Amino acid sequence: MKPSDLLTRFPSVLMAWRNLGRNRVRTALATLGIVIGVVAIASLGIAGAAIQQQATTDLGSLTNEVTVTSGQDSDVDGVTDDQVARIERLLTDARVVPQKTNTTTIESREGEAFVTVTGLTEASALYNASAGEAPDRLQSGALLSAGTARELGLELGDPVEYEGRLYRIRGLIEAEGGFGGGGNELVIPPSGLADQQHYDSVTIVAADGEAATAIVDRLEAEFNDGEEEELSVTSFASAQENIDSFLNTLNLALLGIGSISLVVASVAILNVMLMSTIERRGEIGVLRAVGIRRGEILRMILTEAAFIGVIGGAVGALVSLGVGLVLFDAVAGDALLVVRWSSARYLVFGFAFAVVASVLSGLYPAWKAATDRPVEALRG
Amino acid sequence: MSVIVLESVTKRYESGAETVVALENVDFHADRGEMVSIIGPSGSGKSTMLNVIGLLDTPTGGTVRIDDRVVSDFSEAELTEERRSGIGFVFQDFHLLPMLTAVENVELPSMWDTSVDRRDRAVDLLHRVGLGDRLTHTPDELSGGQRQRVAIARALINEPDIVLADEPTGNLDRDTGATILDELTRFTTDEDVAVVSVTHDEQLVEYADRVVELIDGVVQE
Repeated sequence: MKPSDLLTRFPSVLMAWRNLGRNRVRTALATLGIVIGVVAIASLGIAGAAIQQQATTDLGSLTNEVTVTSGQDSDVDGVTDDQVARIERLLTDARVVPQKTNTTTIESREGEAFVTVTGLTEASALYNASAGEAPDRLQSGALLSAGTARELGLELGDPVEYEGRLYRIRGLIEAEGGFGGGGNELVIPPSGLADQQHYDSVTIVAADGEAATAIVDRLEAEFNDGEEEELSVTSFASAQENIDSFLNTLNLALLGIGSISLVVASVAILNVMLMSTIERRGEIGVLRAVGIRRGEILRMILTEAAFIGVIGGAVGALVSLGVGLVLFDAVAGDALLVVRWSSARYLVFGFAFAVVASVLSGLYPAWKAATDRPVEALRG
Repeated sequence: MSVIVLESVTKRYESGAETVVALENVDFHADRGEMVSIIGPSGSGKSTMLNVIGLLDTPTGGTVRIDDRVVSDFSEAELTEERRSGIGFVFQDFHLLPMLTAVENVELPSMWDTSVDRRDRAVDLLHRVGLGDRLTHTPDELSGGQRQRVAIARALINEPDIVLADEPTGNLDRDTGATILDELTRFTTDEDVAVVSVTHDEQLVEYADRVVELIDGVVQE
C-alpha cells in the first residue's frame, strides 16, 4: 500500500499536505517563522533553567542549613544542653549539630594563622574533606581548612595545638562556596572547648531549603512564643526564596520575550493562510459545489495550519535542544542536564505553543473559507 | 417522472436601491436520460437558473423539487448533502484541483466519505472517457479536452441523478468540443442521468434533446 493510499483514509490530511506542497517557498517561510518562534521561546526558557540550576547548585549547601543562636531575651549567653535536647526531640528528621566556637592563633615553623575554633562532633554534616576525612563522630584529632594548612605548611597527621592540647590533623576541609566565611577554621571535638558551658550555635541540616523553612517555623513556635525571643533562628532558605523568585521573574520575562516572536510567527501564518484561501476561493467554491461539507473544508484548512505548526514546532524543538546542550555545557559543564524535565519542558511547551498558535491562526481563514457561499466563491 | 422540477421560480437580487429580477416565474423540468440545453443572451439569467437547479443558490420565490421532494427550503447543510449525493457539476474552465491526480480529482466529491471506496468506479469512469492511461497525471499534464473529460468523470462519481454543465465546451476547440458532447450524450443514456447544460454554443444545441430559451429571466415558449 502506497502512502497516498493510506492518506485517502484521512482526506483532510491528504488535501492539506498537497495544498502546502503547491507553494513550497511560502510554506517554508511560514514554517521558518514558527521555527524561530519556538527556538526563541525554548532557548530562553532553557537558558533560564540553566541559570536557575547553577544558582541552586551554588547555594544548595547553604540554604538547607538553619542556624540557632542565643536569643535577645535569653537568660544565658549561648544555647544550653537542655535547649539542644529539646531541639533534637522536636526535629527527629534533621541532623542537629551543636557547636562551640572560639578563636585562636596557631603556629608552625612557617608562620602563624588566626583561626576560628569550632568544637563539634558531627563533622561530616557540615564539612567536606578535600584530603583525609570528615568523620561522622569527631572524638579525637582535628580538621583544618585546606588554605590554612597550606599557609602553615601543615599536612595530614601533623599536630596542631589549642589550649595546651595537641590534635592530630585528620582531614583538610574546603571552604564552602556562597556566603559562608569559609576561610580559616580549626575543627576539634567538643571536649576541647569544655570550659565553655553553653553552645554558641546549633546548625541544623535539613533535606532542602523548603524543609529548612519549615524547621525555622517549628523552632520559632517552640521557643519564641509571643514577644520573648529565647533562641534566634536564622536560615538562608529565605535568601534562596528571594533568589528563586527573582529567577522565576527573570525566566518569565525571557519567556515573554520569546513568546512575542511566536505571536509574530502566528500572525505570519494567519496572513499566509488568509492569502492562500483567498487565492483558492474559486477552488474551495468547487469543493463546496460538489458536496464537500463546511466542516470538511474547515478541517482541511486547519490541518494545513496544524502541519505548519507541527513541522515548525518539531524543527524548532530540535534546534532548541541543540542550543540547550551547548548552553548547559557552558554554564553547568554537563550538556546532558538539558534532558531534565525542568529544562526539557520548555521544548515541550515551545512545541505545544507552536501547534496551538498555528491552529488558532488557521481558525479565521478556515472559517472564512468554509462559510463562503459556493455560488459567490465560484465567481472567484 | 421528472427528476428536477422548478415551479414559478423567481430570483431577485437587491443591489442598492434597485432590485434586479434574474428569474421570473420560471417553470422547468428535466427527466432522466434527457439532455436539456438552456440558451439565451448573456445576462438573461441562465447562470442563476443553473445555480438554482444545482442547489447552489436558493430562489426568492417558487418551489424546487428533486425526485418530488421540495428542496427549496433546505438548510445549507441539507443542500450540501443533496449536491453530494445527487448532482454532478461540469464547469467551463474545468475546475480541477491542480495538486491532485486525474483519478483523485474524479474521487474528490466522495473523498471525505471514507465509508465507501470509489477508487474502482473512478478508474472505470476514466477508462470510459478514454483516459485509462492518464490516471496518475496531474491536470497540468493534460490537454483541455482531457481535463474536461476528467471533470465529466468527476461529475458522475457519486452516481448522480442530474449533471449540470456550465458552458462545457466554452474553452475547447470545435472538434474537442464535439468529443466532449459525445461523451455527455453517451453518459446521459448509459448512466440514466438528466444533463442540463447552459450555453450559447450552437454546437451544443444540436446535441440537446430539448432546448429552453431564457430572455430577461423569462422562459420563452
